[in-house]
Amino acid sequence: MDLILVNLIDGLVTGLLLFMLSAGLTLIFSMMGVLNFAHASFYMLGAYFAFQISLYLGFWMGLLIAPLAVGVMGAGVERYGLRRVHQYGHVPELIFTFGLALLIEELVQFIWGKNQMPYSTPEILQFTAFSIAGNSIPAYKIFMIFISIAIFIGLLYVLTRTRVGMIIQAALTYPKTVEALGHNVPLIFMGVFGVGTALAGVAGVIAGPVLGTFPGMAFVLGSIVFVTIVIGGLGSLWGALVASLLIGWITTFSKAYNLRMEDVLTGLGFTKPEPIWDSAWRDLWSITSPQIADILPYILMVLILIFRPYGLFGKRDA
Amino acid sequence: MSDQLSTDPTKPAQRMRAGSMTIPLMPWVLGAALLAVLPFIFTANSAITIMNQMAITIIFALAYNMLLGQGGMLSFGHAVYAGVGGFACVHIMNMDDFFAAIPLPVLPIFGGLMGMGLATIVGSFSTRKAGTVFAMISLGVGELIAACSVIIVAFFGGEEGVSGDRTYGLPFFGVEFLQQIDVYYLIAVWLMISAALMYLYSRTPLGRMANAVRDNPERAEFLGYSARWVRFYSFVASGFFAGIAGALFAINYEILTEENLNTTQSGIILLVTFLGGVGFFFGPILGAIVFTLVQTVLSLQTELWGFYLGIIFVLTVMFFPGGLAGLIMMHVPAMRLGKLGRLGVPYVKTLGAGLIGCLGAAALIEMTFHVRHASTGDHEMTVYWTTFDSHTVLPWVLAIGATLVGFGIARKTAPALAEAWNDANTPDGTAQ
Amino acid sequence: MNPALELDNLTKSFGKTEIIRGVDLSIGKGERHAIIGPNGAGKSTLFNLITGRFPQTGGSIRLHGADLAGKAPFEINRMGLSRSFQITNIFPKMTVFENVRCSLLWSMGYRYNFWSMVGRSRALTDSADEILDQINLTARRDLPAGVLSYAEQRALEIGITIAGGADVIMLDEPTAGMSHSETDYIVDLIRVVTEGKTLVMVEHDMGVVFGLADQISVLVYGEIIATGTPEAVRANPKVQEAYLGEALEAH
Repeated sequence: MDLILVNLIDGLVTGLLLFMLSAGLTLIFSMMGVLNFAHASFYMLGAYFAFQISLYLGFWMGLLIAPLAVGVMGAGVERYGLRRVHQYGHVPELIFTFGLALLIEELVQFIWGKNQMPYSTPEILQFTAFSIAGNSIPAYKIFMIFISIAIFIGLLYVLTRTRVGMIIQAALTYPKTVEALGHNVPLIFMGVFGVGTALAGVAGVIAGPVLGTFPGMAFVLGSIVFVTIVIGGLGSLWGALVASLLIGWITTFSKAYNLRMEDVLTGLGFTKPEPIWDSAWRDLWSITSPQIADILPYILMVLILIFRPYGLFGKRDA
Repeated sequence: MSDQLSTDPTKPAQRMRAGSMTIPLMPWVLGAALLAVLPFIFTANSAITIMNQMAITIIFALAYNMLLGQGGMLSFGHAVYAGVGGFACVHIMNMDDFFAAIPLPVLPIFGGLMGMGLATIVGSFSTRKAGTVFAMISLGVGELIAACSVIIVAFFGGEEGVSGDRTYGLPFFGVEFLQQIDVYYLIAVWLMISAALMYLYSRTPLGRMANAVRDNPERAEFLGYSARWVRFYSFVASGFFAGIAGALFAINYEILTEENLNTTQSGIILLVTFLGGVGFFFGPILGAIVFTLVQTVLSLQTELWGFYLGIIFVLTVMFFPGGLAGLIMMHVPAMRLGKLGRLGVPYVKTLGAGLIGCLGAAALIEMTFHVRHASTGDHEMTVYWTTFDSHTVLPWVLAIGATLVGFGIARKTAPALAEAWNDANTPDGTAQ
Repeated sequence: MNPALELDNLTKSFGKTEIIRGVDLSIGKGERHAIIGPNGAGKSTLFNLITGRFPQTGGSIRLHGADLAGKAPFEINRMGLSRSFQITNIFPKMTVFENVRCSLLWSMGYRYNFWSMVGRSRALTDSADEILDQINLTARRDLPAGVLSYAEQRALEIGITIAGGADVIMLDEPTAGMSHSETDYIVDLIRVVTEGKTLVMVEHDMGVVFGLADQISVLVYGEIIATGTPEAVRANPKVQEAYLGEALEAH
């Protein structure tokens, strides 16, 4: 029971982190119809910027400034890159963001090199918040949960309670009408893109010290984020939340409990072929749940796509 | 009741040669001749290795363009179909009795079928939608299969991959494929066959409808075609030719690893195809040739090759979405008017200056990189065959100067080039 | 004999809003039937229901006696019904000739054929050229369809619609946005190419309607309030009250 609680917390941290990325991604997608392939790259930039800033001004200034810098960069990419490519259609847009992801990774290697950066959690948060049956929960995890939830509530508030949020929601479905009403839709697009990438930046700032700040960090998380919004349903904020948490918990639990395929198969009444190393099914029999934890999201995605092509909460076609 | 089952009397029984529609044979004959004589011109082993790599990439890029250029489907996981075809072939090489009974040149068919089989399974659910949704599914499935390679060790061989020996096959007219040059001709023949088949495919009713579905899937549905099935068949066909490319890879290198399946590999083929140009059949061919050459040369010269590639790619998407082929075909109207020559001098002026600017900028990038990342005390570096101390002022002045002057002149001469361009594309005697 | 197209108590709701509220309509073979009505009456929705673009909420649609419920657009097309669109809907990057040729492929039995060359079939090329000739676009044959003028694109739209040889042709506002001379040209074109076929059209231009149609239905707020010959509809007091009076005056 205690272990379950610990894993619930760990899964929540992973899930909320994923959500900070997928929320921005899905928002940008539903607004502009563009899937930003470079979204995780902005997450990486957030971590690197924050690391660089923390060298001079400390962690907290990094948390404040880095997302802003990432957001400004994101807005710039929208204004000077994406808007230009938009005229060619959605597929070139996607290819553009793909190229951007490549470029950002190379750029990061160019500036900071290939090694992991010594970016760590601030000292003030380096203590144990509480323990559950001997498992200590670091305060930084609680801090991550707190930040993510605060951002989610803030986002929800802006989208549903403010004038800007209303305009954004309207522009989601009727960009032409909103433009005709005198709103500057290109500016809104740029703003949404900037905010979305800034959110990714925040995720990078707070995840960098825990998951490591290295040139491959965008790649590691990038495709999982896409899988998340496909599972949740493209363009659905709630879907993104549910899918993020689902993936966070599934991967955490399958890593924590060593469930062996051998036991499952024996339980189902199959007999283990002998000798096992000579059998064509040897890989199936030797699978354990920690081993496949990282590909479970992909399997989940394929299943969802077969049985519910629009995702859990999806309404709109792309 | 459905008219699907009844035979249609209008179905063309007699296939007549429609004069204007015959397929031009000349480029194919030239291509075949070139492939035949190339090894006599470039005899070095390393040259043959590069040419083999190039030919395999051409087939793969053409297969990829069946999706991207002709069908409008962007796949981020196409390496999987080539890779699985390759793995299957290595396993066949390891089946002693079976492999001893089939000649090596037949092997790619098995690779193709394997790629096709996988594409059939994945395509059955991934081709329901085009565009973004298709792209995401292709990515997810690609990642899934690549990740499986370390789990399903029996097929993918885990981290070290699977290797085989191509020479155990049934000798083919006495050839046992011990030499690189034998393999070269095997690949060259398959290149001609695959390219021709893919070209012909684009001229069939299904190939034409792939274009129609790309342009306007909804309208195609109101013409009796299910957009989904058209996409599905394109996908399966593309999987077949990707599998052939994978099989040729297996024959050439005799080893396949996770690297043949992963997203990086899928990304490279997208890059190659797009840089070459998706709008024309020969685009991917061009892309594969140029990419392989530049990669071979540049990756030996600089660590930052990926960085330059990224810049070139992003600029291509932004400014020349037609790729190299598009750039070349832009000149056809001027050529038809017989005024291509008028572009010569302005091109030399602007592009020459631009090139100097690029070289200067590249030198700056290299020097910055060296200063930042070389081990402490290591001040010596080599750029453009010149060795110098990166911490002295002169090289920086030179590089900055070249960059500024180069781009400056290019900028200044650009209006003249634009004017020459307009002039070359306007028939003589008309106003404007 | 079955009518060409038969709607029985057809309804369609979007959420709670009922757009089509029980339409009964029977269109005989060879009839030229115009559906008119004020803006927002549901004419385009009716079209989209019949052609399978939207699923219906209730009631039935029968084409030559066969029920169309749950059929996809391409299945309905194969049963012999073809439509054009209000907003020009062609293949802009392909040549004019390719546009027409692609529209012929299914009906000429090619289906998902990948073993014969389209360029080698004289029958296919000739049929496509014949249609280009009919719609007066032979001179534009090898241009990308996207560069044609608006009227030419509309003509091509009609060419694509009739190419497959469907016997029920549905045209959604074929003259929308056209000048007088262009309209005359398109009306003549429609008359020629739909010779001997069943024509169903939505049209705002009363000149076109009364010039082409031999039956008219008036759709108001998702219901058909009158069906009959142009004279009968013109004389119908309900129609005059609801719609036609003002429209005729304006005309």
